[in-house]
Amino acid sequence: MSEEQSPLILIRGLRKQFNGLVAVERLDLEIKEGEFMCFLGPSGCGKTTTLRMIAGLETPTAGDIFLRGERITDLPPQQRNIGFVFQNYALFWYATVYDNLAFGLKVREVPKEEINRRVRETAQRFELESLLKTRASRLSLSAMQRVALGRTLLTEPQMFLLDEPLNNIRPGLRETMRAELKRLQQQLGRTMIYVTHDQEEAMTLGDRILVMNQGRVEQLASPRQIYHHPETLFVAGFIGRPPMNFLETRYQVEDGRAFLGRGGLRWDVGERKSIIEEKAKGDRIVLGIRPEHILPMAEARRKGLTGQAVPVTVDLVQPLARKKIVDLKMGDKVIKMLVSGVSPIAKGEELEVVFDPRKMHLFDQETERVIASGFSSS
Amino acid sequence: MQTETKGITTARTVETRRLGPALRFLLALVVAIIVLLPVIWILSISFKPVEEWKADPPTLLPRKPILDNYKVLFRIGNPVGTVREMVSSAEPVNRAFLNSLIIAPVATVASVLIGFCAAYAVSRYRVGGNFMPFFTLTTRMFPPAAFAVPLIFYYSWILRNYLKIKLYDTHLGLILMYTGFTVAFSLWMMKGFIEAVPRHVEEAAILDGASPWRVLFTITLPLVKGGLFATTLFVFILNWTEFLFALEFTSREAITVPVQISRYTTAVGEFYGPQAALGIVASIPVVIAGYLIQRHLVTGFTFGMVRE
Repeated sequence: MSEEQSPLILIRGLRKQFNGLVAVERLDLEIKEGEFMCFLGPSGCGKTTTLRMIAGLETPTAGDIFLRGERITDLPPQQRNIGFVFQNYALFWYATVYDNLAFGLKVREVPKEEINRRVRETAQRFELESLLKTRASRLSLSAMQRVALGRTLLTEPQMFLLDEPLNNIRPGLRETMRAELKRLQQQLGRTMIYVTHDQEEAMTLGDRILVMNQGRVEQLASPRQIYHHPETLFVAGFIGRPPMNFLETRYQVEDGRAFLGRGGLRWDVGERKSIIEEKAKGDRIVLGIRPEHILPMAEARRKGLTGQAVPVTVDLVQPLARKKIVDLKMGDKVIKMLVSGVSPIAKGEELEVVFDPRKMHLFDQETERVIASGFSSS
Repeated sequence: MQTETKGITTARTVETRRLGPALRFLLALVVAIIVLLPVIWILSISFKPVEEWKADPPTLLPRKPILDNYKVLFRIGNPVGTVREMVSSAEPVNRAFLNSLIIAPVATVASVLIGFCAAYAVSRYRVGGNFMPFFTLTTRMFPPAAFAVPLIFYYSWILRNYLKIKLYDTHLGLILMYTGFTVAFSLWMMKGFIEAVPRHVEEAAILDGASPWRVLFTITLPLVKGGLFATTLFVFILNWTEFLFALEFTSREAITVPVQISRYTTAVGEFYGPQAALGIVASIPVVIAGYLIQRHLVTGFTFGMVRE
């Protein structure tokens, strides 16, 4: 424990209120040196506000921010030396690429010769040499992003904050620029906090992801962990596409056997009985199952999976490149199943499906927190 | 909203196109004549000799054009006898012109400078909340004439007698007054232009390490330059043409061009010729200022193109 160095960023009880509206509520966070951290959540969840507080562009209502153990909560943004890339890049659009890149160094009164050398170095790194005399307003989006990154990089910040930098970019180019960004971060070995509402971006870029909703932290974990072990109903529903299916069930015990009941269906909970009884506040349990973990009966048998057979009617089949999304009517509820692209399932068909028992997630309907994720039925 | 605007634009374009170029030109000409007739009239009368000022029926163009109306303004050469006699009671305009050339620009620069700084404080730092910017408009809410008496009392009684500051009939007196009455315009106009500058651009500069003053002068100012010129021209025109206060607060030393123009209507007679001539001369500085500023106005009014 003593060997561990203090985290680059330490946030304690951070809170931000705009007039009556609470944007961020009691946020605690540690970010390690060299980490790629993603803030993920729907718009208005407080992720950008948190980023702006770290940069010093917003003053927290309460709480503290430490940078390398030093309290910076009240430090003006000019003195924090934190790089920020804005959603729309915020270039000085009337100035040339050269002047955009040189601005931070000019402010720091770096000698002219050195500015010139360093700007050219950076321009070379970001393939901007031929554009140095171009006005920023005439650049392509990808060039703008490179200028924004280069400008930030030149001031040698302790860390980078990126606010949805790929938001306005068309899908094809987006993936390319995302890859470039990841490569850059690995080259520099510098800490980055990346704000996005795009789960795919967060999953591919982040070492860890902070999922936020309505100003609160829902979960902080690695992308794998967040996908396989969501801690709240919100995270479970937000991550994964098509989204996880949720079924409201009741926890019941009959003749010593515990199960989740819904209509005539029963899902045995096996050895999770004790956990449910310990953690759940009531008997109302939400059963979560991802579309890819619902299997047609035949396939389930082949894989040796057993469990409650759920009778369904196929309502809609949407083919994707390699998979098909199948909407299944289960009484008055529609659930989604993901099957292989060659599956012969057709609309109107009646069949039985099985929920992979190892992949089921159980949530307390009242607290919306996870009780258990993944269990095997006996 | 956007499609709606688009729809209207398209409809209008089609309609105009259907009219045909000839008809469109004719329509424009009629409107232009109606609007420009007073201007043409002034121009015409400024070149007319005395007999033609009140000729019945009136003539559009002077039958015997003369330059004497202009000459008499500046007492150049030896104007035709009648005109000289008629205006001999009036002062030469040199003093009024010089006064206006000092008072209007100084008051304009002061107003725009204060207005710009105030607008920046209001829109970026929320100084004064919502009330203060609105409150500045109170200077324009009353008819100016309502202010005349209390201000005369203030200027010529309180300030003069107790503080020994002479503001009545001085440049400073009018400069202060003009600055005070136009600063609300400057503030509101500049507020609009500053708010059109994306905040992120300023924040990017701050994060690059720039101080607030540096941000204001090297980032924001160049971006609102067009707006600054537009505001300057607007306020200059207000100050240059202001009549009521200039009339009330000057008597001899600090009279301005609009007051001088009014002086050609006297008990002895109405000197339309010199009055029109001075009107034409008075418009020259505004035309020059407008021409010089025009290039910047274009950038000022295309603010929608700012890339955020």
